[in-house]
Amino acid sequence: MLTEAPPSLAPTTRDAPARREPRFRIAAAWPYLLVLPTVVGTAFLLVYPLVRSVVISLQHFRIGELIRGGATFVGLDNYREALGSRELWDVLLRTLVWTVVDVVLIVGISTLVALMLARLGKRMRLAVMSALVLVWAVPVLAATTVFQWLFQSRLGVVNWALTSIGLDQFDGYTWFADGVATFAILVLLVVWQSVPFAALTLYAGLTTVPDELFESARIDGAGAVKTFRHVTFPMLRSLFGLITSLEVIWVFKCFAQIWAVSQGGPDGATTTLPVYAFQVAQSLHKYDLGAAISTITVLILLVVLVPHLRHLYRTERAEA
Amino acid sequence: MSRRALRALPLNLAALVVLLASVFPVYWMVATAFKPTTDINASTPQLLPLHPTFEHFRTAVGVDGFWRFWRNSAVVSLGAVVLALVVALMAAFAVARMRWRGRQAFVLMVFVAQMAPWEALLIPMFIIARDVGMLDRLSMLTLIYFMATLPFTIVTLRGFLAAIPPELEEAAQIDGASRFEAFRRIVFPLLAPGLMSTSLFGFITAWNEFAFANALIIKNQDNRTLPVWLSSFGNVFGTDWGATMAAATLFMLPVLAIFLVLQRRVTGGIVAGAVKG
Amino acid sequence: MKSRLVAVCATLALAGALAACDSGSSADPSGNGTPEPAALTVWFMKDSFSDKIVQGFKDDFESTHPGTTLDIQIQEWDGIGQKVTSALASNDAPDVIEVGNTQVAQYAASGGVTDLTDKVDDLGGDDWIPGLAEPGKVDGKQYGIPWYAANRVVIYNKDLFQAAGITTPPTTREQWIADTTKLDTGSTQGIYLPGQNWYTLSGFIWDEGGDLAVQDGDTWKGALDTPEALAGMAFYQKLQALGDGPKDSDEANPPQADVFAKGDVAQVISAPGGAVAITKANPKLEGKLGFFPIPGKTAAQPGAVFTGGSDLIVPAASKHQAMAYEVVKALAGEQFQKTMAVEMSYVPNKTSFASVLGGNEGAAAMAAGAANGHATPNSPNWAAVEAKNVIKEYMTKVLTGGDAAGAAAAASASMTEILGADS
Repeated sequence: MLTEAPPSLAPTTRDAPARREPRFRIAAAWPYLLVLPTVVGTAFLLVYPLVRSVVISLQHFRIGELIRGGATFVGLDNYREALGSRELWDVLLRTLVWTVVDVVLIVGISTLVALMLARLGKRMRLAVMSALVLVWAVPVLAATTVFQWLFQSRLGVVNWALTSIGLDQFDGYTWFADGVATFAILVLLVVWQSVPFAALTLYAGLTTVPDELFESARIDGAGAVKTFRHVTFPMLRSLFGLITSLEVIWVFKCFAQIWAVSQGGPDGATTTLPVYAFQVAQSLHKYDLGAAISTITVLILLVVLVPHLRHLYRTERAEA
Repeated sequence: MSRRALRALPLNLAALVVLLASVFPVYWMVATAFKPTTDINASTPQLLPLHPTFEHFRTAVGVDGFWRFWRNSAVVSLGAVVLALVVALMAAFAVARMRWRGRQAFVLMVFVAQMAPWEALLIPMFIIARDVGMLDRLSMLTLIYFMATLPFTIVTLRGFLAAIPPELEEAAQIDGASRFEAFRRIVFPLLAPGLMSTSLFGFITAWNEFAFANALIIKNQDNRTLPVWLSSFGNVFGTDWGATMAAATLFMLPVLAIFLVLQRRVTGGIVAGAVKG
Repeated sequence: MKSRLVAVCATLALAGALAACDSGSSADPSGNGTPEPAALTVWFMKDSFSDKIVQGFKDDFESTHPGTTLDIQIQEWDGIGQKVTSALASNDAPDVIEVGNTQVAQYAASGGVTDLTDKVDDLGGDDWIPGLAEPGKVDGKQYGIPWYAANRVVIYNKDLFQAAGITTPPTTREQWIADTTKLDTGSTQGIYLPGQNWYTLSGFIWDEGGDLAVQDGDTWKGALDTPEALAGMAFYQKLQALGDGPKDSDEANPPQADVFAKGDVAQVISAPGGAVAITKANPKLEGKLGFFPIPGKTAAQPGAVFTGGSDLIVPAASKHQAMAYEVVKALAGEQFQKTMAVEMSYVPNKTSFASVLGGNEGAAAMAAGAANGHATPNSPNWAAVEAKNVIKEYMTKVLTGGDAAGAAAAASASMTEILGADS
């Protein structure tokens, strides 16, 4: 996509016969040699498949073409079809809601947990951190299985707990039959899985803020909120930026959890863009349309992350 | 004293809530795995496995192929991680320690690569694997997982490297060591823990991956990985939630083991990278 | 059991030899005699057959075809569409694949399946049951070879019926509801009917004179929102309430045989072969299971049923076409057909084999129902309707208190859209 290394390699090789200052030249070539495997790997295993995907999105490519080959180009028909269907816009809106809800919850809760960790006594802190690490280590598939078990309608412990505190309507309640309930469970699942990474990272960041700053803020009579706004947040701005954009990427692209729990159902209530693209491609065998939706997904993600990318680019440049 | 304890009470209560909310699902998984089926099916759930049994673990492990799938997963995951570490270390060194044209673009590329919509690449990957004769091969999966974990590995390793003062290497070089030697003798030992913990992410990603393993292993079913097998839990064990939870527990164990040893340094590295970067 | 099997085998070997002579003229083009030995991969679906049948077939085939080995892999229904498509698209596909009769059309239309039209005579295709032969045929060419069929019956727990004072199984819907209501007391479930058993719903809809989708010229239209279809759904809802079946899942999840095996469920709707799984899960129920056809609106005609079943296909990418055909031939042949029909209570692929089912209680109930058998809409896109769970989600929505007419209209619209897509 943005590979730039090969051209810079060229001069070194071309100048090689001169051999006047070999050490200098080799030194100049080193960085390019070092990133070469990454660039080659990315080219073959990521860029090339992406290009193939884009090509498919411009073709009529269904089950027959997958098996027999010989797809024909149809221009932007698939994009027209995708963008022209109401469903895509519903899905898009749902994906944005999904991402915003999840990321806000993740970053919010993680910040609170990190601040809490910094204030806890040693033993309690260790206990909470261990618990977070434990959650972090739970593989996605195991976690989804567990959540399905927790919310199982007849034997699930959640229904039992709700019923026993007097909410009788939850006796045998079928969570996964209701769109909003399933959506909520998935949010819970993803937030539960994501908070440990964010919270532990933020906490580690907090420990790098010199105590004197907090001290002086306290002496100035700043309350907790003010201290956070004027001391903590500015110090950790780039860390918050990094975590937020990583979470945006992860949540927006989240597929395995949703697919394992609800396959996008019930009635499409949890169909986000990646799930939708997968459904269209794999269940309906419209690989062309699925590819078009995927391209749209990537473009949206890029646009959403432009501010962060720009920031990233600037800091890299400042360093150079 | 008591007033301080009182003031700390809400904080500790909050901590307790976080603790319980985090641990409960995991606890419930393990507890269910140890309960006899009659207790699992009881209308009033028991919070403790009062009659612990290994029955479900035996069922899970006894399913045909469990260990083979376990081994496949381990081989693929480790292969991908080692490959990613080697390649990423080289790139991270170039980014963190050298000045060259195209560096920002490279960093940007690495970041953008993290956004790759992997599920969308299923069909192209399938076609590519088919055309080069790599269907049904674990090595194809290894390559894909390598690529899927590479960007993150580079970003993290770069953070670790940035946290090690370059002066250490320079001092060694002044003492007559070559740059490579300086790296090997000075930087590498300092970096080793970081390397291992970074590998954790790659390991988890690869260990978890389902979609490609499911799509690219077709005829040679002996090459299936654990997640693919695990996804058919419902079908393998039916209503047997005990065995399902036992299998999920076994699936979690290796990750948990590595995690407990390494997690601290992971967050450290990310912070180092982010705060510097 | 064993001795009977041997006897059957002996007679069938003879019959097989006769059949071989008979079809001598329509020799297969791959050459005379037996094809090259090979290592074949065969895909069967989960729970299609008992382990005993599968192993028996493997041993038998390998001994009659020296040097050939069969790797019989059991596939899950979840995600099977993707799996079979990938297999057909690969360079080295499994050699024989079992596909559901509602899904065979789309594979046949894809171009990845070997055309077996010239083998139809060799296989005695005149006598095939249409519910399996038709879906396997596209544009007059036979891609899918009929394998076995089954339709649903009611399996009941004789003890619980007796305890409730019910001596004869119901023959009309009214009686059925009355009996089930009577059975549904205390910890006993009158019937275990999960909310997404859409094949059963289809039967109720056909009983009312409705259909899942109707063809108008070249286009299909979802028809769940017709008054007939809504009446079928209303009956399903009434019946479903007489037990604790989960409203949001189907009969495979959890496997209803396991639920029934616990002993507190009076009835379950299943293919008679389900009884095998039930007694396997709880041997104490052996001999306590009864069968009756799903009751219709009047005693004169049993309820309509979906004729389910499977076809066999040979992927064009199979590297051992000739030997793959031998496997198909053996699986579709008299010996295997009669053995499995007895063991699993399935309907064999030819009407002439059905006599072996005489005296089999489950098969008798099934045969009665089969007289009123129906198929799903014969469109290559039908598999996509199934894959998208359109009907299942509609059912859950209604059962959990949603507006039936509105949900039906939405589901019909989405069926129309899926069926109208060009493949």
